[in-house]
Amino acid sequence: MTRDSRKPLGLDDVFIVDCDVHANEPPEALAPYIDMPWRRSLELLGRGPQRYLDIPGYAPILNLDPPFPDRGLGNRTVTTARQMRDDLDELSIDVGILFPDNLLKIAVFPHVDYAAALGRAYNAWLADAWVSRETGLYGAVLAVPQDPKDAADQIRTYGADDRFVAVYLPVAGLRPLWGDRMYDPIYEAAEEMGLPVMLHSVGIIHPHFPFNLEHVESRIVRHPINHEFALMANLFTMLTSGVPVRYPDLEIVFTEGGVSWVPFCMWRMDKEYAEIPTGAPFLERPPSDYIKEMYFCTQPIEEPERSRDLLTMIDLFDGRDKVIFASDWPHHDFDHPRTVLNMPFDAELKRNIMGESARRLFKLPVPVPVA
Amino acid sequence: MPRVRVGPADEIQPGQPAFVTHGEIEIAVFRVDDGFRAYRNRCPHQQGPVCTGPVSGTLVATAETDWRLAWVLEGRVLICPWHSMEFDLDSGRRLRAQSERLRAFPVDVNNGEVFVQIGPRDSSAPRRPSV
Ligand code: FES
Repeated sequence: MTRDSRKPLGLDDVFIVDCDVHANEPPEALAPYIDMPWRRSLELLGRGPQRYLDIPGYAPILNLDPPFPDRGLGNRTVTTARQMRDDLDELSIDVGILFPDNLLKIAVFPHVDYAAALGRAYNAWLADAWVSRETGLYGAVLAVPQDPKDAADQIRTYGADDRFVAVYLPVAGLRPLWGDRMYDPIYEAAEEMGLPVMLHSVGIIHPHFPFNLEHVESRIVRHPINHEFALMANLFTMLTSGVPVRYPDLEIVFTEGGVSWVPFCMWRMDKEYAEIPTGAPFLERPPSDYIKEMYFCTQPIEEPERSRDLLTMIDLFDGRDKVIFASDWPHHDFDHPRTVLNMPFDAELKRNIMGESARRLFKLPVPVPVA
Repeated sequence: MPRVRVGPADEIQPGQPAFVTHGEIEIAVFRVDDGFRAYRNRCPHQQGPVCTGPVSGTLVATAETDWRLAWVLEGRVLICPWHSMEFDLDSGRRLRAQSERLRAFPVDVNNGEVFVQIGPRDSSAPRRPSV
């Protein structure tokens, strides 16, 4: 690569892996991939009025807010692989890891068979219409928490397909949390197939902790609770049930929480563990040791007044090779890659965060060097 | 300092800016109350196309409103379509974060035609430091 090493890295100088982009899956798109009677259900849902990521019976959110004048909060969707490729080109992103849109809320469905069928349909739809090595669009196998055995089968099926590089663990409205032993088949399959698990939440109101926020007036209170608090709660339970100990080769990734909550979790859990080690009998080392081995996606990247504080924050959890770029395109709070690239990091750290660490994590093909 | 023609003044309506491009710089001209304002179509946050966002008002609750919610500045608040930051169309400043502002250009009207003057960056205008 020939470039002036004194010049700051530009977007075209680095290989960029975006660990979180969203494919929009309206009910009618999944209908051909789902069994009866659910095919008829999705066809019916597809004929009804559809609000943005707010479709009863498909993307339940319990939206209690009135529409606010002129604030659409960027209700963008990407409905085809072609559109996604074009959008990512526009953003200078080489590789995108796909997550759903509506099915971010799949964990709330009480009907186990419906949820499992939706998960299978989504995975089949991704395989059929979205993922390809040529376009750099890769899938995360949707693991439906309501049916861990079926989810494990899906992980083994699609994990054998090199266009799927991860397992998506839905977090919004989940009960029990991801540390529960009922999910062991999912972790077993993911570890066996060499696929990292990626926890991803979304904004909803739901009776289950920490989503029981129907009494909260402001969206800016609900949003971080829906994301960071939910990730923290799941991380804590995964530690106490020994997920990283029992599945030592399993890589664990947290998306859409930024990074600044990570040091708190380490130190707080170490403190609890010192006082009550019987509360986490599986652990062989302090909790922080395990947290330092996990991965954290950048979005929504913190934008502190002194941007170098972000580097301090990453160093607090030894995260220079564990922080990986995500944009969350096309959602309202997406980060443009230049926002992360322009942080005051050295060139090696920038390359790692923007793509190299993710390339190693997801075992992506080595990119052709950028001219 | 280049002076760029934008178009007839009466074709620029409130909430519907006119766009001109000069080299790599895209500029939007807005009609605001008593006249026109011109801003670069680049958000100081993450460089989104701020001038393509809706023009609206905003919600405040201050001592002046007796701590009740009040809808104010209708027609004067530009909302960035990327992350919804709000800018006062009159001053170009970000609401509630006055040190950040849009890059502004002088506007004049001559014989019913609107012009903007493209000058060097106004060094008094701070930008967000990290992006
Ligand atoms: S780019 Fe304008 S608000 Fe973020």
